[in-house]
Amino acid sequence: MLNPECCNVLSSHEQMLQDKIAGKEDKRRVAHPRAFTILDSFDGKKPRIDVERAKYFTESMRETEGQALVLRWAKAMAHIAANITVYIDDHQLLCGRTGCQGRYGILYPELDGDFLGQAVETLPTRQASPAYITPEDARVVIEEIAPYWQGKTFHEALNKALPPDVHKLTYDDPEGLYSRFVVNETASFRSSIQWVHDYAKVLNRGFKDLKREAQDKLAALDPLSPADNVEKRPFLEAMCIVCDAIVLWSQRHAALARTTANHEKNPERKAELLAMAEICERVPEHPASTFHEAMQAQWLTQMFSRLEQKTGTIISNGRMDQYLYPFYKKDMEEGRITEERAEELLECMWVALAQFIDLYISPTGGAFNEGYAHWEAVTIGGQTPDGRDATNDLSYLFLKSKREFPLHYPDLAARIHAGAPERFLWEVAETIKDGTGFPKLINDEEVIPLYVSKGASFEEAYDYAVSGCSEARMPNRDTYTSGGAYINFAAALEMVLRNGRMLKYGDRQLGHETGDPRTFKTWDELWNAYAAQHQLFLKTAFYQQHVIISLRGKHFAWPMGSVLHDLCMKHCLDLHTPQIPEGINLGYFEYIGYGTVIDSLSAMKKLVFEDKKLSMDELLEAMDNNFEGREDVRQLLKSAPCYGNNNEYADSIAKDIDLLSLEYAKKYSAELGMHNDVRYVPFTSHVPFGKVVSAMPNGRKAWTPLSDGSSASHGADVNGPTSVLLSNYASKNLGYRERAARLLNIKFTPKCLAGEEGTRKLVSFIRTFCDLKLWHVQFNVINRDTLIAAQRDPEKYRSLIVRIAGYSAYFVDLSPDLQNDLIARAAHESC
Amino acid sequence: MTSGKDRATSGLVFNIQKYSVHDGPGIRTLVFLKGCPLACRWCSNPESQSFKVELAVNQGRCLGVDQCTRCFKACPAQAISIQEGKPAFNRTLCVGCARPCVDACPASGVIAYGESKTVDEVLRLVEQDGQFYARSGGGLTLSGGEPLAQPEFSLALLREAGRRRIDRAMETCGHAPWQLLAEASGLLNAIMFDIKSLNAKRHLEFTGRPPDVAVDNLQRLVKERPSLPVHVRTPVIPGFNDTEQDIEDICLFLAELPSITYELLPYHRLGTQKYHFLGREAPMGEATLASETFLRLEALARTRLGAKYTA
Repeated sequence: MLNPECCNVLSSHEQMLQDKIAGKEDKRRVAHPRAFTILDSFDGKKPRIDVERAKYFTESMRETEGQALVLRWAKAMAHIAANITVYIDDHQLLCGRTGCQGRYGILYPELDGDFLGQAVETLPTRQASPAYITPEDARVVIEEIAPYWQGKTFHEALNKALPPDVHKLTYDDPEGLYSRFVVNETASFRSSIQWVHDYAKVLNRGFKDLKREAQDKLAALDPLSPADNVEKRPFLEAMCIVCDAIVLWSQRHAALARTTANHEKNPERKAELLAMAEICERVPEHPASTFHEAMQAQWLTQMFSRLEQKTGTIISNGRMDQYLYPFYKKDMEEGRITEERAEELLECMWVALAQFIDLYISPTGGAFNEGYAHWEAVTIGGQTPDGRDATNDLSYLFLKSKREFPLHYPDLAARIHAGAPERFLWEVAETIKDGTGFPKLINDEEVIPLYVSKGASFEEAYDYAVSGCSEARMPNRDTYTSGGAYINFAAALEMVLRNGRMLKYGDRQLGHETGDPRTFKTWDELWNAYAAQHQLFLKTAFYQQHVIISLRGKHFAWPMGSVLHDLCMKHCLDLHTPQIPEGINLGYFEYIGYGTVIDSLSAMKKLVFEDKKLSMDELLEAMDNNFEGREDVRQLLKSAPCYGNNNEYADSIAKDIDLLSLEYAKKYSAELGMHNDVRYVPFTSHVPFGKVVSAMPNGRKAWTPLSDGSSASHGADVNGPTSVLLSNYASKNLGYRERAARLLNIKFTPKCLAGEEGTRKLVSFIRTFCDLKLWHVQFNVINRDTLIAAQRDPEKYRSLIVRIAGYSAYFVDLSPDLQNDLIARAAHESC
Repeated sequence: MTSGKDRATSGLVFNIQKYSVHDGPGIRTLVFLKGCPLACRWCSNPESQSFKVELAVNQGRCLGVDQCTRCFKACPAQAISIQEGKPAFNRTLCVGCARPCVDACPASGVIAYGESKTVDEVLRLVEQDGQFYARSGGGLTLSGGEPLAQPEFSLALLREAGRRRIDRAMETCGHAPWQLLAEASGLLNAIMFDIKSLNAKRHLEFTGRPPDVAVDNLQRLVKERPSLPVHVRTPVIPGFNDTEQDIEDICLFLAELPSITYELLPYHRLGTQKYHFLGREAPMGEATLASETFLRLEALARTRLGAKYTA
């Protein structure tokens, strides 16, 4: 039991867990029987690896060598659509899954197939996010799939293409199987960064019409033009094939629904199955005419998209409350649907989403995305393309569904703007208070002007959709790049202190030799040494990205992503083409360890150079010993000004560090043909990154996690949450457009937000977040004791959901390291 | 009084706490003024009572003399010696210079409660959260100690905060000359007023003074400042006022006062360790308040006062 004295207020999520432990009936189950029944069938079970996608993809690719890649890809999709097992799940109202029943993940051998052999052996027992595979499937992987891809995968090509000085900061071994965790590439464990399709196009036009568009273009090609025939023709043929493929896939579901209905005894279920069959016969081939059809069409589209490629963080859902609303409104007006039925359909999608695991087979991918991370962001709220508030009845229904059916799917994101209605913010705050970490908030007042400055029209910028963890997309204007570098800047600081070396990697020189820090006489010398290492890391990251971009088009194509994109269709170019005319290519690199580096520099500036309370020699020696026997030095370091307290001393260092990255990006991004902007979003990478970094001058002990995102170091923010927001604001360089998302975690105890007054204060806190133009914020509303209890007794707390880094996960799915990291994040309880 | 004079007025402050959400409307910053005319036995901020800077030691943070000897090397009065591996502070030898040992301790284990600050210095810190006040209807809350026990400073703070358009609230025990309270209340947007007990004997025994001044002041305040929101609070303390009779008496008194709101606060022991830091014994010892008792008294207050009870 929880200690009642300390946790006298429980969040409703905690209350639900306690009720479950006490064996009390959960009222929500009674109100949402279908969704809970489906949930019970897979909740808390270990995921299985399904090999069908990889098998059929490989079979087809084997047959089509030599043809245009986009055409090969489309043919592979057609082969998958014709052969992959289709399923109708009991109780479900939506059909379409890309693998076996229960929790499952699928394989993308074209990406990192060289890991496959190792993966089938290690995945079942991996500490972070394990998955199992049947012996027969393991045989298929090792004998049928992996051999074909040997020497052909993107990862192998990248490993070979990186020159030695870039390679040594990227990988730890010649084959590139293990990351150095210094300047970490992420392009080899996902085909692209996050993405959102223009789902409205599917709902309003259907794939038949999209195919017609491609056919018209084919007919209009100049039969004598080499470009038209060599470049555009295979592209357009691929578009036709992929449109047919998804329609075939949906027809196979329709047929199965009919057969299942024939054998169904229960008349109610029989009718449901027949209705599902009719729906799949119609969509996504034709435009949707009802809410149910719209949901089914969207669902098949996103599932088919998952079969096509491994989009970073899983394909996002876009502005669901906007594109679904016309169908909802019409059904309501014509008496075809009730609010309860619409909510049930949404829940059917949430439980279906929850069964798909974004499987990372490489050890690095696994470490970066613990707890089966997923960011299939569903966007609600925000503004219409002409800049008015966009909130509607569905926006509220999504929030209601999140409160009543608390699953960590979907990743609900609310767009906040200056004119957001009070009711919307109130319900957002109430949902946050429930304690599952939803919704995360993205700020229109930051994103929109920034996107306009990057080249979007106002209309497009107003209509952005949240994508992945904390990014934003304009689905017909953005193009994308491969996953960017995650850069361990705490390692850069370590190289300053060890003259280009790291304790973890011994005598090997990895960075610049910036000199023995004992010889630094002034703060400026230290700062310049840091800036030099910082710049070297950026150079390495940009170099990587340049190579990645040049390789990408040879390895990946995305026919369905392209047929849904205005610019791809206009110019007959696959979405993986590095430069698409009129497109805005938005990418980023990641600053990891922000708080750690700021606080470390601040401590040295203050204690070594200004107050002279500590000599550099003493500091280095204490760090060499991981502060063993020198707790006095560690405590002294921790007493220096820290980021996250609205303290100008620390925040100005933060701003200067940010500026180093912005200046570099401003100068060199254009050479990559993209916006390679500065982002502060860790996923869970701050944990593996921390494992290679020895003791830091902010008192952080060796090998422990770094600070996450743009949040303060663990326990360093002692002035309360208002100061956390203000520090974040103060450390930004608002004059630069080379900035991207900053992830900010705030943890509250439920007591702090108790009652109506607590909600009111949270609403005004969110309004101020909006005023301050911070990009993102998310909240963990939980008692520390609950986390500790769950760590001790995972069986009982199987359904405890916590917010991590732009996503929520089951706490018990996380490694002990990450669990401890969450426990250590300071909770604001000054009440 | 001119703004320039007010800005330069200084007083003794022992804490400034951001994001306070339970002491007045909206998101607020609490400024704690040092010194109080009462010495309540249950006081959870014992460092607030004295009007002087006080030295305190958190032995739990001390690293031990094998790791660190900075504090006794720093003491100019040899008031610190080593006993059982840890520094011992002799408060009679201490000359109250405070800073050298505080600055020397790397672990923040030696604390000086109280720092002289000008109105301008305080309000610069308070204004940092201005955007949060604007959105939430919050602002500055003066607390203590007893803010009115530093009259010039607290009035200057309130006047200057008013000039800077900061919303102003104050927590008071009510033990101040009426004229002073009247002047302060004219500068306030809200006040939180403690009525601890109407039992004169016990009030004297537990706080050092009888309740009369506070009771009179509250009656007058409500009468003469009818538009000022007054929130009355009673800390429920075991052995002092935790009976039906005590609460009933207060409720009867409050029922006569128009337009006040009321709240009971449960006794807690979170201040106990600060007594130890100050080298004092916590006067309440191990006493605790049963939550059933508190809930029963709350129910009583709610019955007697209806909508006035706003906890």
